[in-house]
Amino acid sequence: MRRKVEDMAETTLTRRSFVKASALAGAAAAFGASLSGCIQEAPEQQGQDGGAEEGLVRMKTSCHGCIQMCPAIAYLQDGVVVKLEGDPDAPVSRGSLCIKGLNQLHTMYSPRRILHPLRRAGERGENKWEVISWDEAVEEAATHICDAIDKYGPYAFFASVGGGGSYSFMEAMTLPMAFGSPTVFEPGCAQCYLPRWSLSKLFYGGNDQSIADNAVQEIFRTGDDNKAEVVVLWGAQPSVSQTAESGRGMAELRAKGVKTIVVDPNFSPDAVKADVWLPVRPATDTGLLLCWFRYIFENKLYDEEFTKYWTNLPFLIDPDTKLPVKAQELFPDFKQSTPENTPAYVCYDLKTNAVAPFEFSAPADAAVDPEIFWQGEFNGKAYKTAGQIYREEAEPWTLERTAENCWLEADKIEEAVRLYAEAGVAGICNGVASDMTESASQVPLGCMGLDAVMGYINKPGCTMTQYGAAGAPPTKRPVTYNNGFDGMFSDMYGIGAVVGMSDAENEERSKKLGEENPQQELANQLLIDRLGMKDHKGLYAWCHSHIPTVRQAIATGEPYKPRVWFDMSGNKLAMLGNAKSWYDVFPEIDYIIGQYPMLTSFHVEAADLVFPVREWLEEPMVNMTQLNTQWLQNECVHIGETVSHSIPAAQVVAKCREKMGGELPGLVPGYIGNATEEEVKASVAETLHAPSWDELVADTDRYVPYVTPEEDYFHYNQHETVVDDGLPAGFGTESRKVEVYCQILLKLARTGYPFCYPKPQEACEDYSPICAYIEPAESPLADEEYPFVLTSGRVPYFHHGTMRHAALSRELFPTAEIRINPRSAAELGIEHMDWVKVSSRRGEVHARAYLTEGVNPRTVWMERFWNPECYDESQANPTAGWRECNVNVLTKNDAPFNEVYGSYTNRGFTVRIEKSERPANVWVEPEEFAPFLPSDEMKAEARTEDVF
Amino acid sequence: MRNCLVVDLDRCSGCDSCIAACKLENNVDLGVCYNRVHAVGPVGTFPDIEQYWLPLQCQQCENPGCIEVCPTGASYRDEETGVVLVNSEECIGCESCLAGCPYNVRTLNPNTNVVEKCTLCFQRHEDESWEPACVHNCCCGARYFGDLDDPDSPAAKAVAAAGEENCHHLADEHGLAPATVYILSAKTATWQDDPVTTDRFVK
Repeated sequence: MRRKVEDMAETTLTRRSFVKASALAGAAAAFGASLSGCIQEAPEQQGQDGGAEEGLVRMKTSCHGCIQMCPAIAYLQDGVVVKLEGDPDAPVSRGSLCIKGLNQLHTMYSPRRILHPLRRAGERGENKWEVISWDEAVEEAATHICDAIDKYGPYAFFASVGGGGSYSFMEAMTLPMAFGSPTVFEPGCAQCYLPRWSLSKLFYGGNDQSIADNAVQEIFRTGDDNKAEVVVLWGAQPSVSQTAESGRGMAELRAKGVKTIVVDPNFSPDAVKADVWLPVRPATDTGLLLCWFRYIFENKLYDEEFTKYWTNLPFLIDPDTKLPVKAQELFPDFKQSTPENTPAYVCYDLKTNAVAPFEFSAPADAAVDPEIFWQGEFNGKAYKTAGQIYREEAEPWTLERTAENCWLEADKIEEAVRLYAEAGVAGICNGVASDMTESASQVPLGCMGLDAVMGYINKPGCTMTQYGAAGAPPTKRPVTYNNGFDGMFSDMYGIGAVVGMSDAENEERSKKLGEENPQQELANQLLIDRLGMKDHKGLYAWCHSHIPTVRQAIATGEPYKPRVWFDMSGNKLAMLGNAKSWYDVFPEIDYIIGQYPMLTSFHVEAADLVFPVREWLEEPMVNMTQLNTQWLQNECVHIGETVSHSIPAAQVVAKCREKMGGELPGLVPGYIGNATEEEVKASVAETLHAPSWDELVADTDRYVPYVTPEEDYFHYNQHETVVDDGLPAGFGTESRKVEVYCQILLKLARTGYPFCYPKPQEACEDYSPICAYIEPAESPLADEEYPFVLTSGRVPYFHHGTMRHAALSRELFPTAEIRINPRSAAELGIEHMDWVKVSSRRGEVHARAYLTEGVNPRTVWMERFWNPECYDESQANPTAGWRECNVNVLTKNDAPFNEVYGSYTNRGFTVRIEKSERPANVWVEPEEFAPFLPSDEMKAEARTEDVF
Repeated sequence: MRNCLVVDLDRCSGCDSCIAACKLENNVDLGVCYNRVHAVGPVGTFPDIEQYWLPLQCQQCENPGCIEVCPTGASYRDEETGVVLVNSEECIGCESCLAGCPYNVRTLNPNTNVVEKCTLCFQRHEDESWEPACVHNCCCGARYFGDLDDPDSPAAKAVAAAGEENCHHLADEHGLAPATVYILSAKTATWQDDPVTTDRFVK
């Protein structure tokens, strides 16, 4: 009963010609085959692998329904994708494809798709658009950008992008720099992954513990190579967030008998299957972490040798500077035998029962037996070891006190910590939860600190392992590059210091690079001027601005006013914390450019110009790896005048350069993003080691997946490898050890080191170098007006703001839900599936009550939501769909922020709940979603040539 | 021949991908489902609770009540494969079979006035490797398909590996002998013969 595609449109307009439509109200429904403005080709049947199967063309590709990008097979009939399934050859997903991936069949051909550039034709909010040509659109965007820069200077421009899984991460980061502006943000970043990612670099120069972002790979090794014994999911639900990949991986782990511990306020599927579930009070994880530290220290469950010789916990800390004391400070005559880039510190030596220099060496070669926990005087000054400082921080967190504070049971905490600490090998995996709280830096410090004192590092079966090229056996002292994403842009966008080089080496390097590239001064100035950097210098790791400070600057013009906005992703009103505070400043922004495959609330309310970009079945890309395999996201088809995600900005940048007489005011090389599909395809082919795109797609089975031999991909115990200076490699930190006491955070707070260098950023209050407890600012312990604490998380039907227009996702999860314990609901007279109003100090939204014993009676849990049906053309009084059910109307984007990263509070704030009615315009019945089903017009859109 | 599904509830995480895979493969209309996934529980009081998910679709009974009550012969068993099917040409939409089936896995499609249900992707049955879409795409590796009478089928192997004490069938008050096997070990949760489910479907 598959629908046949009939009457393929036959128009043959010239490339990039356009059909101009006058003021289209409720634009989406009006775009059909009749507006197609491209040369149309016969659907390609040739050159695909696999051959015909039931008359279908089979193409290897990868899903892009979330960040993990599972390998998939697409089947085409007459140029239309008619079936998707998981690729059984994928080592972790093993043929699984989740509901988000499967539903691409609908979103690809959704009547909501936009296929041509659109210019706003009415007022913002009216959802009236006219179709314009690419030439016009690029010209218009460039004119606005150039005019603003001309009139107000480069800082008038700013960019933004979406979170993990969206396409244009590097592009958004480099776009403002091309124009000489420091302002860029994405709603994730400080609230999603940056803190954990960045801290792992500062903590030990290695991979982080995120199971939600493909960082954790070791535990998913297949067959006998899998050595996992105990896995701790701390604030992550892989079975929901990355269902087909790490969700499948968890199912396989549990099936082979691996024990799991889940820390999650919500009874997630992974919690359901866990050996121990700890439903912690939202945003109090730091207390639970300190409790684990206390228990492990007190019961001597830690790996003593690893802690003594591979972490900095035995170092004496100077009480004045809070930094570890260098040997030469206390022993002026001491001559270290290690290179200058490997400082000697000071410990209390149990061999001599005295304070002594502590040089870096292999454990067996150490001159001292360092005490981890020590305090005492030396030369009349009181010192503590870093270990002692940690122990004192953890001291109040007994099982009983933690149970009371964090709403847990003491015996369950003990069962969990024993399971974790008594395993041969274990590892903590985390997700986004802590990033969305004030303790965004403290939680990962604690999670990594625990794995470190347990010695669960660089071993088969643990989380913190190094794989791929970065994990190759070291030959030199490891160092960690910092500026820009993993140092990728260091030399272009600010030199920064290299952690692990000596001061002299860094000075010399910075001088040399500065001479080679005179623009370094401008790059350094942009780092200094970036919004919010004085207080939250951790944001430097991804070159991003502090979002609440950007909003403030837009509102007040202080210290400068961002005026022209190029957004490269989806629904900012559904993704930004305290959405209404953003809606309120839209009138302050002169011109707003968007790009997305459809119009979202943000585009309806704010955008002046929208570029149409491709769905994943259309855009060539290389996926995230699955273990040692890398897969193609294929261009299975493409329709309309849609382009790959890097292209609109590249075209606009080129046009601006032309208008400005050949030179842009920003940094060279400037925008990093392909300008044509040919460039996009060439880079994909290169990554997959194919000679060309044509050869790649002509013989996909030969080039996909690209497999790195296991022996070249998985490596262990790198820190023990002896390198060219005769010492074990150690780690890419200042001390060459795992810095459980994260000493570099203190330098970061004081000068911006290692990011803002050589010219420093202004100092702020010191950052905590260890996990420390933070009671949420809006605490349910002291809030009578808003008695529930709200936290949130994903459901399997959606990734971020996506798929709200996928009829089959909405049929199963029609609208926002709030999980409430039945006892609390009964007190409020609320029954299962009743509509309720949820209010916070920021605003109010509606959701249906989902009654479950799976949450604490004082905790409630929501997924984020927005409702594209609210501006369906069938609505009598359309709205933009972001006010009705969107949890980000409730979230808190004001201080206190996480000190290092400026993270605001998306989880762990207080709300009030009362019975209400279904809001107008919101659909819930399955049949109501019929207007979201793929339209025959969209399926009849012929395959088109590349626009650029 | 007993072609049917075997579902490992120790693995199932209730992600509903099987539902989407089914609906896309079979072009199932909005409001109609060939399979649903019910959350059983949580049983107990927070925080001492347990839960499992129960995917429900045609159980491929040995003595199908639906065939027995169908007045037109539209509900029938395919001789070659043993699969219980509905002949849409002969179905008059009388809904007798809905009463004949205690498992609530048949739906009258209001658009066509024909009763629809899981066919084990019968359109694929001549494929070299017949595998329903829900089985192929399952995100937990929890679904197996095959002939329980063939010890080499994935379904029979899964049942053998699970052990008798962990294999369950839906309650069978009427002697229909549902073939579908659910694997659930006590470690995950206790099997409920009369499950209380938490669903967002209120109909």
